[in-house]
Amino acid sequence: MRNYEIMFILHPNTPDEETDKINGQIESVITSGGGKVEKIEKMGKRRLAYDVGKQREGFYILFVISANGDIVKECERRLRVIDAVIKYITVRTDEEVRRFEKIRSYRQKRAARRGSSAGAPPQPSIEEAMQ
Amino acid sequence: MRSAKEKRPAGQKQYYRRKKVCKFCVERIDTINYKDVKLLAQFVPERAKIMPRRISGVCSHHQRLLNDAIKKARNIALLPFATE
Repeated sequence: MRNYEIMFILHPNTPDEETDKINGQIESVITSGGGKVEKIEKMGKRRLAYDVGKQREGFYILFVISANGDIVKECERRLRVIDAVIKYITVRTDEEVRRFEKIRSYRQKRAARRGSSAGAPPQPSIEEAMQ
Repeated sequence: MRSAKEKRPAGQKQYYRRKKVCKFCVERIDTINYKDVKLLAQFVPERAKIMPRRISGVCSHHQRLLNDAIKKARNIALLPFATE
């Protein structure tokens, strides 16, 4: 199982029921395939940075899921088929999160070591560089 | 500042350039998320090009993360590819 974020943009004129229907569809694809939906976030309507399908605005929706690659593939296929979806992106997040955890644990360890020996909070050499 | 000036032998440039530091290192930002448009926009000037490291002072590690994040954000229309 891997963690992914699927973000897609809906046509700005999509009615609310339609939005919920699409969300339900995607959710069912994920859960029926054995994945888990951790979060569905409606990020609301925002201005697009460039025109997509002659639209200047779009309704952003974010799915945070943990699933297999096959499920993601199926989700993307579905999104491509739905007309209201004007753009989508899938980002794998677990690797990044793992790296972040590693850095954080390392930093904590270092802080603990510094704190016991000198009693001063760890200050990076950046402070010196700024002077 | 003054001491740095005085140390220089004659004939060298007299101005002191403040050393640039990586914003992400200073603020301890480990992950750069593509959804954080406010942060990314600081490194995307008017023409929507990615700001080079020599100007922003971002370290190579964070510049790479920043690059990835900006490119992802462009893909989902959070940031522009180019502006006229």
